[in-house]
Amino acid sequence: MKNTSNLLTYFNKPDKAAYIFLLPSLFVFTIFVFVPLLASLLISMFDINIFLENISFIGVENFKRLFYDERFWNALKNTLYFTVFEVPLQVIFSLLLAAYVQKNTVFRKLLRSCFFIPVVCSMTAVGIVWSILLDPALGPVPYIFRLLGLDIGFLKDPLLAMPTVILITVWKNFGLSMTILVAGIQGIPDTYYESAKIDGASTWNQFINITIPLIVPTLGFCTITNIISSLQVFDQAYVMTKGGPVFKTETLVQYIYTRGFSVAPYDLGYASAIAEVLFLIIAVVVILIYHIFVKKETVGV
Amino acid sequence: MRKTHHSIGNMTVVIIMLIMLISVLYPFAWLLLSSFKHEVDIIKYPPSFFSDIYTFSQYNRVWKSIPLLKFLKNTIIFAGGVTLISILFDSMAGYAFGRLDFKGQKQLFIVVLITMMVPFQVVMIPLYIEIYKFGLLDTYAGLILPRATSAFGIYLMRSFFVSLPKDIEEAARIDGFSEYRIYWSIMLPLCKPAMITLAIIHFMNNWNDLLYPLMLTSSTEMRTLSAGLAMFVGHKTIEYGPTLAATTVSLLPIMIIYVFAQKYFVQGVAMSGLKG
Repeated sequence: MKNTSNLLTYFNKPDKAAYIFLLPSLFVFTIFVFVPLLASLLISMFDINIFLENISFIGVENFKRLFYDERFWNALKNTLYFTVFEVPLQVIFSLLLAAYVQKNTVFRKLLRSCFFIPVVCSMTAVGIVWSILLDPALGPVPYIFRLLGLDIGFLKDPLLAMPTVILITVWKNFGLSMTILVAGIQGIPDTYYESAKIDGASTWNQFINITIPLIVPTLGFCTITNIISSLQVFDQAYVMTKGGPVFKTETLVQYIYTRGFSVAPYDLGYASAIAEVLFLIIAVVVILIYHIFVKKETVGV
Repeated sequence: MRKTHHSIGNMTVVIIMLIMLISVLYPFAWLLLSSFKHEVDIIKYPPSFFSDIYTFSQYNRVWKSIPLLKFLKNTIIFAGGVTLISILFDSMAGYAFGRLDFKGQKQLFIVVLITMMVPFQVVMIPLYIEIYKFGLLDTYAGLILPRATSAFGIYLMRSFFVSLPKDIEEAARIDGFSEYRIYWSIMLPLCKPAMITLAIIHFMNNWNDLLYPLMLTSSTEMRTLSAGLAMFVGHKTIEYGPTLAATTVSLLPIMIIYVFAQKYFVQGVAMSGLKG
C-alpha cells in the first residue's frame, strides 16, 4: 500500500506526470511508426512474401532488380509527370482564386464554402462520379465535346488519361490550398494596402507587390505539402484508371501496392525497396524546396 | 465616378466565378439526380441532366448488390473509433508538451514532429506485417490502433494549450487538485474548440482514406466505404444505378457534418497551414 501511495505522489509532480500523459502516444509511435520505419529498410533486403514464408536475405538484390524494371521507371515517370503539372496548377489557381474570395462579401463567402466541398469528399466518390461523367460511351462531358466536333476519350485515351487525372485532382483539391491561402492573405494588415492605394497602385500591382511577398511562407507550405501528397498519389489512379490505359497512369505507390498486395507473388521485399526509393525522392525534393523558400523568405524580409 | 472598364472587368470576374461554381457543384447535382434515375435513363445516349421519371429503386437495390450496410458500419466504427481515441491521446500529449516542463521535452517534441514527415508508404509494409503477426488483420482493432495518435493532432493541441493563460493550473494546484484532475476537469473543457476541429479532421481523413483500410482489410466483410466502393467500380456485374446510390450514401455523412460545422473545417485547415 505504502509503495503505491509513494508512486502516486511521485507521478503527481508536473514534471513526472508529463511522462504519463505522453505514454500512450509514444507507445503508439514506437510500435507503429519507429519500428516499421527501421524495419522497412531491413525488409527491402529480404525476399519475403505476404504469407511470410521462405524468407531469405538477399542484400541489395531488390534494388538491383528495380534498376532493370521498366514498369518501375514508368511508374516513376508517371508520378513525376503528375507532380510537375499538378502542383503548380493547383497552387497558382488557388492563389488567384484566394486573392478574389478572401474579402468577406456574401457572394465570396458562398464561393469559399462551395469550393471547399470537393475537399471533404473521398477521392473514391469523386473518382466514381468523374469516371462516369467522362465516360465516352455515356458521359455528358464527352457528349458536349462531341457536339463541338471533338471526340475525346479522356481517361480512356493513353495520351489524355494522365492530364485528365491531374485536372480531376486539381478540381478536388484546389479548395484546400485556397482556404489556407485565404487565411494567409487575411492575416496581412490592412495598412499595407491602404498606403499602396494612396500611392495609386492597381489591384494587380497590390497583389504582385504586397500579397505575394507577404504570403511566401504560406505558399511554401502549400507547395511542399502538395508535392509530398502528389508524389504519394494513389487513390485517383486506383479508382479511375487502375493504372491504365497501357500503364499510362500507374504511379509509384500504386506499383508498390500492386507488387506487395494485389498480384502474386505478393513480393513485400521488392515493394519495400520501391517504397524506400520513394522515401528518398520525397526527402530530397522537400529539402530542396524548403531551401528555396527559406532563402526567398529571408530575402523578402 | 467608377470607370466603365472597371465594372466590365468586375463582371468578367463574376462570370468566371459563376462558371467555377457550376463546375464544382455540377458533379454533385448530377450524382444526386442520377441516383434517383432508372438504369436506362442513366446509360441512355445522348445523356440528359434531368429525367422524366425519378425512382427510389436504386436505393432499394443497392443493399443487395453491394454490402453497403456493412461498409457503412465498418467506416463508422473505424473513423469514429480513431477519432475518439486519437483526440484523447493527442490532447494528453499536447497538454504535456504545452503546459508541463519536463526533462527531454524539446527532444521528444522533435521526435513527434519527425513522425509527421514519414510517408505512410514507407511504413506501410512493415505495419502490415506487424498487424498480421499480432493477428489483427481484418479487425477493427487492427484498423484503429495504428491511428490512435497523430503528430498533427499533438501539434495542434499543443498550440492551443500554449495559447491559454499561464496561471490557470497554478490556482488549481494550490487547491490540491492532482495533475490528472487539472488536465481532465480544467484544461480539457477549455480546449473544446480545438478538440472539435481535430475530431472533424480525424473523422474526415479516416472516413475518406483508401490505401490504409485497403491494405489492412482483406475480406469484403471488413471493407470501409471508400475501400469497398473502389473495389466495385468498373466491375461489369454492378450496374451504374446502385454504384451511384452507394456513392451518394458514402458522401452524405461528411456533407452533413460540413454543412453544420464548416467553421471547424476551415479553422483546422487554416491552423495547419499557418503554423506548418
